[in-house]
Amino acid sequence: MNTIPFGPRNEPDPLLAKAAELPKDVAPARDLWPSIAARIAGEPQQARSRSFGWPAALAAGFLVASVSALLTWGLMRDTDPAQPPPVVIAERVGTAIVPVSYGPNSGLTSKEIVARDDLLARFQERFTELKPETREAIQKNLAIIQAAANEIDAALAKDPASGMLKSLLVGAYKQELQLYSTVVTSSDGFTRRT
Amino acid sequence: MRQVTVLASAVDSSVELVTRACRGDMGAFEDLYRQHVGRVYGLCLRMTGQPESAEDLTQDTFVSAWRSLPGYEGRSSFSTWLHRIAVNAVLAKRRSPQGRNEVSMTDEIGEQMDFEAESTMDEATPIDIERAIAALPPGARDIVVLHGIYGYSHEEAAAMLGVAVGTCKAQLHRARHLMRGRMGSEART
Repeated sequence: MNTIPFGPRNEPDPLLAKAAELPKDVAPARDLWPSIAARIAGEPQQARSRSFGWPAALAAGFLVASVSALLTWGLMRDTDPAQPPPVVIAERVGTAIVPVSYGPNSGLTSKEIVARDDLLARFQERFTELKPETREAIQKNLAIIQAAANEIDAALAKDPASGMLKSLLVGAYKQELQLYSTVVTSSDGFTRRT
Repeated sequence: MRQVTVLASAVDSSVELVTRACRGDMGAFEDLYRQHVGRVYGLCLRMTGQPESAEDLTQDTFVSAWRSLPGYEGRSSFSTWLHRIAVNAVLAKRRSPQGRNEVSMTDEIGEQMDFEAESTMDEATPIDIERAIAALPPGARDIVVLHGIYGYSHEEAAAMLGVAVGTCKAQLHRARHLMRGRMGSEART
């Protein structure tokens, strides 16, 4: 019999049955402990009392989503002189942009960072043409995303296996890209039309 | 009854070791390493098919576990917790530029067929099931390893891999199909 039944859900699959019989433990060819011990020697563990945790990370993720949505709305809507912008600017606004820095636990790859930096380069070309209040709003958004990335990274340090924390981190990364993309593709919020 | 007693004793011992390791006791952590290294290395080896990568990933897993031990709250068994860290390490390596040179990315729907793993597992390994698993594309292989060998449910495996449960089931279906073909062709030669 050379067929595997795919029909009835509960019918045992001979291949999976064979797989289940394989030994779970496989000994490495050499003792890995000395290398591990050398790496962790003197390295402090994450303090249990560290304040960053799930609630903070979740709150950070929610804040990023909310505020970035607000920014997107502000950029995309028609300018109404009678209505103040979503974020009010009181001080002189610079044109410097500091992209979000993701921590060592983020798991973001160099390819993802390079992709972000490519978009960032196009964003920066347009950023200087934005109205000061829009620039300020963007800078505040980036600061929020940075704070969120910091908190999620700290939470990941405590729970590196958490898929949800990684999703939150990826969410922050996507919000950053969304922010740049919105500016690059939008015709609103500029001091002059291009 | 004796088996139950032995099992309970092993669990108690593990809990005590985790507690001591959480306080920074490296001796206790070494004991945990000795208890769990085989399963962690086995998982990494089967997911990567590369003994050297599996060794590196095993080390990374234990180093990461050491750093994060104080955050371990016992909601899952220590072994499962370690496995989740190991799976994350494997997936992160696979996404890295170095990892992409070794294997292709895990695809979401299981359509990618460009990967043909040449397992470097011991050639003395019976050709049947172990090598058939090693030859699978990464996405299909992951679910066979987690679900088929290590006994995780589709829900648990999906959570570990960061994919939908339906994707896991589709990958398993695909894996069975590919393994059947491979084992069938080898049986004919």
